[in-house]
Amino acid sequence: MKKFVSRREILGLIAKAGASGAVLQASNALGIVPDSYVDIPKIPPADPSNRPSVVVLGAGVAGLTAALELKKAGYSVVVLEAAGRAGGRNMTVRHGDLIDEVGNPQICDFDDEPHMYFNAGPARIPSSHRNVLHYCKELGVELEFFINENKETYIQDDAMLDGKPIKNREFTTNARGFMAEIMAKNFTNAELDQPFDQWEVEALMRALRRMGDLDEDMLYKGSTRGGYSHGGFLEHGHAHEAVALRDLLKTDLFSMALSQNEGETGPMLFQPVGGMDQIIKGYLRKLPDEVFYNVMVTSVMLQNDGIEVVYEHKGIKYKIEADYCFNSIPTHLMTGIDNNFSADYKEAMAYPRRGEAYKSAFQAKERFWEKDDIFGGISWTNQPIEQIWYPPHGMYKEKGIILSAYNYGGGMHFTQLTQEERIETAIRQGEKVHPNYRNLVEKGITIAWHRMNHMLGCSARWQKSRSGFTQEEERLFQTLRQPAGNRHYTIGDQITKHTAWQESAILSAHWAINDMLARKSGGAMPGQRV
Amino acid sequence: MRNIRLLTAIALTASIAGLSSFSAYAQQYAAVDTTNQPLSNEVCATCHGGEGQGNPVVGGPSLAGLEPWYLRKQLENFRAGIRGSQKDYIPGNEMQASVARLSDAEIDDLVNTIAGWKVIENDHTIEGDLSNGESLYANCAACHGADGEGNEALGAPGLVGRNDWYMFRQIKLFKSGYRGVHPDDTAGKLMRPSTQALKSDQDVNDVLAYINSLDR
Repeated sequence: MKKFVSRREILGLIAKAGASGAVLQASNALGIVPDSYVDIPKIPPADPSNRPSVVVLGAGVAGLTAALELKKAGYSVVVLEAAGRAGGRNMTVRHGDLIDEVGNPQICDFDDEPHMYFNAGPARIPSSHRNVLHYCKELGVELEFFINENKETYIQDDAMLDGKPIKNREFTTNARGFMAEIMAKNFTNAELDQPFDQWEVEALMRALRRMGDLDEDMLYKGSTRGGYSHGGFLEHGHAHEAVALRDLLKTDLFSMALSQNEGETGPMLFQPVGGMDQIIKGYLRKLPDEVFYNVMVTSVMLQNDGIEVVYEHKGIKYKIEADYCFNSIPTHLMTGIDNNFSADYKEAMAYPRRGEAYKSAFQAKERFWEKDDIFGGISWTNQPIEQIWYPPHGMYKEKGIILSAYNYGGGMHFTQLTQEERIETAIRQGEKVHPNYRNLVEKGITIAWHRMNHMLGCSARWQKSRSGFTQEEERLFQTLRQPAGNRHYTIGDQITKHTAWQESAILSAHWAINDMLARKSGGAMPGQRV
Repeated sequence: MRNIRLLTAIALTASIAGLSSFSAYAQQYAAVDTTNQPLSNEVCATCHGGEGQGNPVVGGPSLAGLEPWYLRKQLENFRAGIRGSQKDYIPGNEMQASVARLSDAEIDDLVNTIAGWKVIENDHTIEGDLSNGESLYANCAACHGADGEGNEALGAPGLVGRNDWYMFRQIKLFKSGYRGVHPDDTAGKLMRPSTQALKSDQDVNDVLAYINSLDR
């Protein structure tokens, strides 16, 4: 009996070829577009003679969102921030900025120009992240398109083509060609048993032929889509020779290359003009007097009718009493701050792992990528730097800032190195993609989120296994999401199912406000909101 | 704690020899004008918790209740690279680099400040066989005292009330040669051979369980 392949399975096969990269990349962010909705809390205006008070801990995206919405409704709001700057992981590094890594503080020495910045934390806003876009609009943050996908970039793997980088367009053209050919062959063999009529078969064959640029015999023999080795305009063009599938399969980046620009990192993406922290500046314009910096919280205590927060500033201690506390301090740091939360709540705070993402950047003395037809996008390599990002802004200016490493899941490789070692490693690995790299870059900066002061971690990692939340993890998550004593809300992307995104941080703040309102109005339902 | 001025300190360090990798970068950054830089002046609490209560989740031990002489010695050892400069021991490297730029006056300030912190009772997280622990502890008592009260003259800190998970880690570090190997670490060099008497993790747990019992 011939093997039966249904339409669904064919679609599944295609999806599988594309989606496994997401798994390999150890990223929960790839290939997923969670449903998002704009549901700004409708907070009844506060009675001016009796304004409810809220102390917000942490001036990142979650804290600022909560502060902004509550202030608009007439609440009395104070935001306490441990660092000397607002933003949390929303951090744009420019000339003269401090990178406050524990044990490795750096001052950025990039040229002082508007386009010479580096988004050290979030750097792209998916078009499906409606809440971030909502606040950009409300706060007057100008956006421009961010380019994630660019086929002119490179793919490099020591195991493939003697380690020589290959243009992404050439790589994907060949990969698609061979895959289309394989599908066409198999389909022809099996078609007699298929529930397809002749017209459907022809339609599919046409699509496959186009997808892979196959010849009349449905074979892949190379394609001009991969680019010309020479000619093409005034002379006849000569396509690059086809690269054998066997060669392409030598790199684990094979599946990644076909899937990287799907889902949440697929088009369209945006970035604020002038740096991601324009969003933070937008919030701060609306909260000019509410945020206090260099303030270290030393205790958070639930009271019968409110919450008491003690903090230290310049060696002096202060106490604030408020009706509510919205707390975005990373839970792994909150475990070291005196509190009277329940044992269950403390257990939940201690559970998530600290994210290990690592990024670094160079100032490029010239925009060498532009001479190589690259304007924005990402080159991929199997080395620990993993990615090189080219700025989508500042085209044809003299210099630019290039991302020299972004390792989301395996950042500890770099975190353990000294600053010089990190820089040298980034240069050495970058040289495999851009031969003269060493002489083209300077003034490297590094961001090891695991060691950043007042954070000690990138996004929280709830799941110990790839297969999703265990029952135990779900219990801990729900425990931490509920308010402690009906007064203390843990907020931030850390208390969402989709950590690391600004959208999640905003939604966490909205959730907490809505929950507070429901409880205040007495309309809370019995049991726990899930 | 008074301001520990990170960046002024960075500029100063450039002239101090032997501070390993940092100096070159310090020099590079020293030229940068930091007048309007929002400085972060509180570093300790990030790892060691508010008022030094400790934070096992990030591995920062409690500081409240440490003897001032011991705290000063450790800060000086970290600053000089006698402790914490071993490659690939990250918490030690972080601590080393965090204090590498402290002045003597800042160390005084820190020691005084921490001496004023309320001593909190640390949770016991380790269980073990008390009788085995007691017999193993005889070896420790020579320096740390029969009741774990410590002995300044021998450079042996008090053990009662310290985080047991932290002591577990330190014993392992001594055993594996991450601590107590630097030629100038006089007390550490005494400690390292003593830890070899603890043959297994179970031995370590047993002796720590006994030390915990001295607490009550």
